Amino acid sequence: MSQAQAAKRYPLMRPGFRVADVGPSLATFWQQRELLWNMTVRHLRGQYKQSILGYSWAIVNPLSQMLILSFVFSLILRIPSQDVPYPLFVLVGLLPWIFFSSALASATDSVANAASLVTKVYFPREILPTAAVFTKLVDLAFGMMILVALMVYFGHPPEWTAVWLPVLFLIHIIFTLGLAFPLAALNLFFHDVRYLVGVALLLWFYVTPVIYPESLVPERYQIVFDLNPNAVFVSAYRRVLLQGTGPGWDSVLLGLAVALITFVAGYYLFKKMESGFADRI
Amino acid sequence: MQTGSDRNEIEFWNVSKRFQLQEGRTLREFLPALLRGRGWGGAFYALREVTFTVGHGETIGIIGSNGTGKSTILKLIAGVMAPNEGEVRVASRVSPLIELGAGFHPDLTGRENIHLNASILGVSGKEIRERFDDIVNFAELREFIDTPVKRYSSGMYMRLGFSVAIHSNPGILLVDEVLSVGDAPFQEKCLDKMHQFQEQGVTIVVVSHSMDLVKKFCRRVLLMEEGRLTADGDPEEVVQLYLEKVSPSVEIASSSQ
Repeated sequence: MSQAQAAKRYPLMRPGFRVADVGPSLATFWQQRELLWNMTVRHLRGQYKQSILGYSWAIVNPLSQMLILSFVFSLILRIPSQDVPYPLFVLVGLLPWIFFSSALASATDSVANAASLVTKVYFPREILPTAAVFTKLVDLAFGMMILVALMVYFGHPPEWTAVWLPVLFLIHIIFTLGLAFPLAALNLFFHDVRYLVGVALLLWFYVTPVIYPESLVPERYQIVFDLNPNAVFVSAYRRVLLQGTGPGWDSVLLGLAVALITFVAGYYLFKKMESGFADRI
Repeated sequence: MQTGSDRNEIEFWNVSKRFQLQEGRTLREFLPALLRGRGWGGAFYALREVTFTVGHGETIGIIGSNGTGKSTILKLIAGVMAPNEGEVRVASRVSPLIELGAGFHPDLTGRENIHLNASILGVSGKEIRERFDDIVNFAELREFIDTPVKRYSSGMYMRLGFSVAIHSNPGILLVDEVLSVGDAPFQEKCLDKMHQFQEQGVTIVVVSHSMDLVKKFCRRVLLMEEGRLTADGDPEEVVQLYLEKVSPSVEIASSSQ
């Protein structure tokens, strides 16, 4: 067995990550999926330990938001909801949004929170933000089950076009990871990042058509929504689940392109900064 | 077929490691520094042009006063840091016994933490299941294995961490002062296990302030002074050299009273 072969199997932290390294690095990452799985399970098991309601909290949060938003925006402000009961309308947008925002917030802190590991053992660090994002997928899955139950209850069972949901979720996850990587890395260098993320998510919520339909947006502001991947995704979720039309392929393909570019760029930035993590923590 | 000590397991070539001294990490402090075209605080060299190699199956000790770069060397071997200059090469799986149980999640049980920690150290799920009983038995935690580790005593915590690390089938074992914790019987057991590793050809790097341990356990010792490697050789001689360098200052200190 030659030394070069062995050295390849046990990569060390090296500065000077290049764009050409993204492919091989993602392959290494894929080989570590067992660790990713274990990390995700660890997050999940730890998340609701010592709480009486346990995993039910994953449902309490979106349901309570759905109730208050329905009260304010449907009963008081009477926002139209595309011929479906407002609670369903808002929940379809709310669940992916909660996934996106909680995943991003948790991923931003993921590397900093694993300081004791990061300074001691080598493993691909992208596992930490990825596990943080995957953990929130479980909350999303619970939420979707409640959503389907509510849809049946309100007499609006999901349309058959809902089969596109996994594809849409996949694109949304890729986009989320693309933002999670650089934010997790930058948070180690500048502690401002976590606060910045909090503010940005708050603002982003209002320019994403979660509580109102996109049709209410005046023509001249439409560009804001065309450029906002979350707006594209939320609209697509509504179309396939509530309206029974296709997801709007033009905008979804654009969303996919944006998601892939974000992912590669974000991953590259993360790996570029990775060799400095242990110095900075 | 591996033929043993002619193969290098660890190589350091002119390795330098620098740390930024600046503690503050907010944009408010960074942006003005950037605009003035200056670096971000002063730099401090933890290692300067360190060169050494460790052969397959060798056991080396690293001694020196606090802050001379010993732990930095271990971190470079573990691969969690990159050198600023020079090159570090490592040929097999490294298992760090640095602050045991670093990856433990306090709310998870001993069983769950074994799976998690072993996979962080690069052990596959199948290997973990095969060695699970050995890990538990070595740690002597059979009855507490389904208790959250936050209820463990520090000794139990450490035993579990040590047990997982030594069952990760390492090619290189990094030992940083961990043998000084734990009660006497368990220390004895750990030393036995380390001797066993030596016989199996595992490469071991020990950082310790215990000169007795270093002399007893290592065949070769490196002396670090202010980030530089100043001696590399026979344990008795290097330890003697270190004690001579340290003790005059002790005498001066005591005579000046």
